[in-house]
Amino acid sequence: MTATKGIDHARALDQAAAREATEREPLHRPWAGLLLVGGVAVALGVAMAQIPREHAPLSQVARYALAVALPQWGLTEPVNEVVYGTRGFDTFGETFLLLAAVVSVILITRSREPRHGYFGEESAGAREQAETDPAASSDAAEEEARSAERREQGGGPAAPRTPDATPLGTPAPETAETMTVVVRTAIRIALPILAVAGLYLVIWGYSPGGGFPGGAVLLGVLLLAYAGYGRRKISRVVRPGLLETIELAGAAAIIMTELLGLLLKGSFSANWLPLAAQQTPLSGGISQLFSGSELIEVGTGLAIAVFALLGMGHDWARDSGDDSGSGGSGEDGQ
Amino acid sequence: MILVNYLAAAALLCTGLYVLLTRRNLIKIVMGLSLMEASTYLFMVSLAYRAGSTAPVLVSPPAGKTARQLAHGNVADPVLQNFCLTAIVIGVAVTAVFLAVAVRIAQHYRTLDADRVRAMRG
Repeated sequence: MTATKGIDHARALDQAAAREATEREPLHRPWAGLLLVGGVAVALGVAMAQIPREHAPLSQVARYALAVALPQWGLTEPVNEVVYGTRGFDTFGETFLLLAAVVSVILITRSREPRHGYFGEESAGAREQAETDPAASSDAAEEEARSAERREQGGGPAAPRTPDATPLGTPAPETAETMTVVVRTAIRIALPILAVAGLYLVIWGYSPGGGFPGGAVLLGVLLLAYAGYGRRKISRVVRPGLLETIELAGAAAIIMTELLGLLLKGSFSANWLPLAAQQTPLSGGISQLFSGSELIEVGTGLAIAVFALLGMGHDWARDSGDDSGSGGSGEDGQ
Repeated sequence: MILVNYLAAAALLCTGLYVLLTRRNLIKIVMGLSLMEASTYLFMVSLAYRAGSTAPVLVSPPAGKTARQLAHGNVADPVLQNFCLTAIVIGVAVTAVFLAVAVRIAQHYRTLDADRVRAMRG
């Protein structure tokens, strides 16, 4: 009996897969979209034909940045000089846009929190409870309905008939915590190299690099450790309390760096540190400080966002009147 | 010939826009948005290119040129490279927010189809 059921189920799945393969994905107003995209394409094409090409002289801003990079900032890397010096205000705004995005991700992905305080539902509802005592009425029909409900709810989750019948989003233990020993060994070798490379990008600020790529590399270090060793190994580092504190400390450091320019030198994001010798890690004045703070901000911000997204798995709304498991929900998403 | 890059960026942007407008799957909509972001990176890096130029690094200029010569001419535009760096970070942040919203919508409505997410459900 169960064997034929299993075969039926497998056949139904096969049919569904075949139908999905041949079925055309429904589009939303394709012709209106095509018209709009065509208009945008024509406008862009006309505009692109008229903008400066590869033989045009550099813009005024770029010339200025190249001219002041060495004398005013002691930086041999004009891109870093633009990011943290000439257009420091732009980077400042961008940093806080990133912070705003991270805060949004935290708010959206936040799961239901454990209870912290006393609400007193039971004592507040005690009078009503006493007025309608559930044990008092023992109508036969109600008794039967109640026992049926208990049967349906209680007894814990019954194992699904086949693994395919497991409803989507059921809380379940992770099956594989860590990867194989080969992968883990490779990660153990690659991790320190990657971490050093990320820090190198920031500290040697007179060569291409800086806080943004460095922060992204540090996120890569965390993700490699997570992929290879599982959540438990990194849980001491990747916890919201710690990461959010470090992130905000980085943001505060950036604000201080920029504000001190206003206080000491009279203009926001002006250099207030003495310039060290060229091509040393300390050359570049505040741009190195800014870059280091940006490393903290970007690294922890991206880590918070990624791990918040990874951690929002088991928070599904209840299926409405559908207990057939894999039906409906799986195929809706296409 | 850099015009080819410009037009490729425009084509990429239009592809992304078409995906954004016509697809119903939220993940594909986010992918269309990422395509549009990527087109701006291509556009800005192409716009920074100058014929026969070097990277805007003043450490060791190519043979026959001094750092001062580089500062006055033949390098790629550092300001546009800065814009590109900025755009990448903003792109990552925006994608993260949209993906978080997509996951919440999937969890709440049990579907990723944008046309089926109209009904207000408590």
